[in-house]
Amino acid sequence: MKAVEYVEKIKSGELSAVETTKAVIKEIKKLNDYNYFNTISESLALELAERADKNPKGRLAGLPVSLKDDLCIKGVETTCSSNILKGYKPTFNASVVEKLINEGAVIIGKTNQDTFGFGSFNVNTDYKIPKNPLDTTRVTGGSSGGAAGFTALTKFPHVAIGESTGGSIAAPCSFCGVTGMTPTYGLVSRYGLIDYANSLDKIGPIAKNVEDLELVLDVIKGNDKKDSTSLNEDLKNDNKVKKIGLIKETLNVDPKIKDLVLKKLNETGIKYDIVSLPTITKSSLSSYYIIAMAEASTNLAKYCGMRYGQEEKVNLPFNEYFSNIRTKNFNKEIKRRIILGTFTRMAGYRDAFYLKAMKVRTLVIEEYKKTFKKYDLLVSPTMPIIAPKFSEVNKLKPKDHYMMDIMTVGPNLAGIPHISLNAGTYNKMPVGIMFMGDYLNEKKLFNIGNGLQDN
Amino acid sequence: MTKIGIEVHVQLNTKSKVFCSCSTKQSDEPNSNVCEICCGFPGSKPVLNKEAFEKALKIALALGCRINKETFFSRKSYFYPDLPKNFQITQYESPIGENGKYMSIRIRRIHLEEDPGALIHKGSYCLVDYNRSGIPLVEIVTEPDFKNAKEAREFLRKLITDLSYLDVYDKKSEFGLKADLNISTTGAKVEIKNVTGLKDIEDALVYEEERQKDEIPRKNETRGWNSEKGITFLQRTKESEDDYGYITETDLPLIEIGNKLLNQIKESIPELSEEKSERFTSDYKLNEKDAKVLANNKKLAELFEKVAEKVNPDIAAKWIIRDLMNQLNYHKKSLNEIEIKAESMIDLLKLFEEKKITDNTAKQVMINMITKKNFMPKKYIEDNNLIMKSDDSQIEKWCKEAIKETKKAVEDYKNGNEKSLNFVVGKVMQLSNKTANPDAVRKILVKLIRK
Ligand SMILES: [Zn+2]
Repeated sequence: MKAVEYVEKIKSGELSAVETTKAVIKEIKKLNDYNYFNTISESLALELAERADKNPKGRLAGLPVSLKDDLCIKGVETTCSSNILKGYKPTFNASVVEKLINEGAVIIGKTNQDTFGFGSFNVNTDYKIPKNPLDTTRVTGGSSGGAAGFTALTKFPHVAIGESTGGSIAAPCSFCGVTGMTPTYGLVSRYGLIDYANSLDKIGPIAKNVEDLELVLDVIKGNDKKDSTSLNEDLKNDNKVKKIGLIKETLNVDPKIKDLVLKKLNETGIKYDIVSLPTITKSSLSSYYIIAMAEASTNLAKYCGMRYGQEEKVNLPFNEYFSNIRTKNFNKEIKRRIILGTFTRMAGYRDAFYLKAMKVRTLVIEEYKKTFKKYDLLVSPTMPIIAPKFSEVNKLKPKDHYMMDIMTVGPNLAGIPHISLNAGTYNKMPVGIMFMGDYLNEKKLFNIGNGLQDN
Repeated sequence: MTKIGIEVHVQLNTKSKVFCSCSTKQSDEPNSNVCEICCGFPGSKPVLNKEAFEKALKIALALGCRINKETFFSRKSYFYPDLPKNFQITQYESPIGENGKYMSIRIRRIHLEEDPGALIHKGSYCLVDYNRSGIPLVEIVTEPDFKNAKEAREFLRKLITDLSYLDVYDKKSEFGLKADLNISTTGAKVEIKNVTGLKDIEDALVYEEERQKDEIPRKNETRGWNSEKGITFLQRTKESEDDYGYITETDLPLIEIGNKLLNQIKESIPELSEEKSERFTSDYKLNEKDAKVLANNKKLAELFEKVAEKVNPDIAAKWIIRDLMNQLNYHKKSLNEIEIKAESMIDLLKLFEEKKITDNTAKQVMINMITKKNFMPKKYIEDNNLIMKSDDSQIEKWCKEAIKETKKAVEDYKNGNEKSLNFVVGKVMQLSNKTANPDAVRKILVKLIRK
């Protein structure tokens, strides 16, 4: 059942939010072995559900919504899947949470992710690794792995709130066969989102169908005085898609994936050209990782066992105390990114790495702008592969992990909206197709998505 | 040759902190003016306080800086327990102002940043108070243009005055002014970190200049200042410049300073001390020294201008600079602690100007004005019958009595000791409760004694 239909039934009294919530929580517990949830916010959920039954007014009245574990909920453990934040209960709600609650949503819990968003497979979590809903020997994709996995498996109406820095919404959607919207940077307030990389982080919905994405995005978007980067502009109304550009450099993938993507693209019946985007495809990945890690290395400095999260008895000078806490509670990938990120911004390397990456980012944005003068949307596969097996992932080197983001980092670096849709299956595993639009052109993406999904 | 450059940190007197809405009021209760933003909790985001930004811009303009039309914030990374995020939001590549000049000292840059919290040492452990965290600071960096400590102090003194004219700085805040001092004499460069207050800054510079005569620094070093002992001490030698790994603070968007804002801020800059003292000499015909004393203190200058509207400026200047300040010093009070109403001063000095009260009475009233709250000079003078008595027959009565009581002095005077008369005059003043017109007293005494 779609969220819109479900909310109507709550409003008419045909369905009970409390009953649904109880059933969803039971289901989460039953699916425990999939490791999708870090925390179930049971008492909050029931309280919100009761409220929705009593006064089913909001646009999301009674709708179960899960949140990625990097979004703050007042009084509910929020960890970004990292040991360093184990036990941390924020004192405030993220703006997104406020908006969801105001529209009657029922917050059911916090979903598993790569720690602080650092990963494409969700194997980098200090909780148990989430499993692909279609094949438990495979990964969900990441970093919003728990969100996509649960969305695929649940039998109930549900929308997950994910977050993408370099592809963390699109990647797990592709691997789990669900749909996700990564909106224009600044469309959704980041207040209360625990930072990975401030200039790249975007909050967006993951759902089983496009209408649900549209409904929830409409609730969570909008200017927020608490986030200075939040946009004042609203979405463009024009949703007509006349011409699409298929990105040439992204077709160099498994032919089966390419075929599925082309087949799906042809279903649109819309004219398309093959376009070459050399700067974006060649330079996005390195620029993205340098900027993301530089920002991340400063964002992670605050975790030092002093004000929140893990702590110990202080019997060392502060520098040693901080090091001790950080050494014990940061996993290998976090440490790798702190070291790399710090390196790229140090005197002597700053010009060659950080500042150069910033310049490349400007060039990437310019190339998109130029291309969107000719095309309403761009298209590519979401991921170069289908969800790999855990045994395969274990063999990959860090650089191979980073290469997985080759399709998704471009739009993320530029901050343009993109939607990942299921294009079919190959070896019984889903393959994603990703459409990208110019700034604030989400309505074109929804339009194409609505036309393509098999209802 | 000694070269001194200073980096002054000035706390702005905004109502709220620079990136959150917490109050900047000093509080005795630690960690009472704090929130998730100024304590750097995960997920919180800074929002720039417009008032703080405009005040920083005002300083940059007043100090003759070139304004960067596009300015942004950066993260300066270092680990320290008083720094909630372990990075400070400051400005790096594009400060608000650059290349200014003030009192013939070149200003390298002026930028806006957040103050860290305060560490409170208690024996073997240490507590952190984040009330100060996020208070807006403006950093003013000079070129190494000072030749000695005195020049640096004069610069800072003037700067503080002008910052109070600009209404950006509140002198009352104890830690309102901090500086890092760079001093090189014959050897390597020495930086003295974190010196608080004008006097300590000068003392530290004087001490360091002397010290370097005996111990020529071979390597660049960072030193601390021990205020109690009055000495600097080595913290570390520096092989290279500190590396703070600056990156852009992307939670805060680029700020474009338009001409409209620029003009609006320019227009809001009031007359500063230099101009004011010039105007005092030309408009009120004060001597240069008095004009400077008044202009260098916002409260004094304001009081003077109000009083000089109604009272002869010479009398106003003399009484404000000398008598008022002397009495304040004597009673160990500062102008900030007391409330001197211009109206009271006018009432008092008008009576004096019109010769309705004696010099002595005026002084006595002034003391009351300083030491008592809501003191009303006119009423006090009337109630205590302190209007000057010029009635000859009354004065003659006091004089006759005084002559009787000061026989020795009268004799001395008769024998040619002119000064002895002052003693007799004093007696008359005492008998008259300081209200007898001193000129009349003198005249009548001389007449009576010579008889
Ligand atoms: Zn605050």
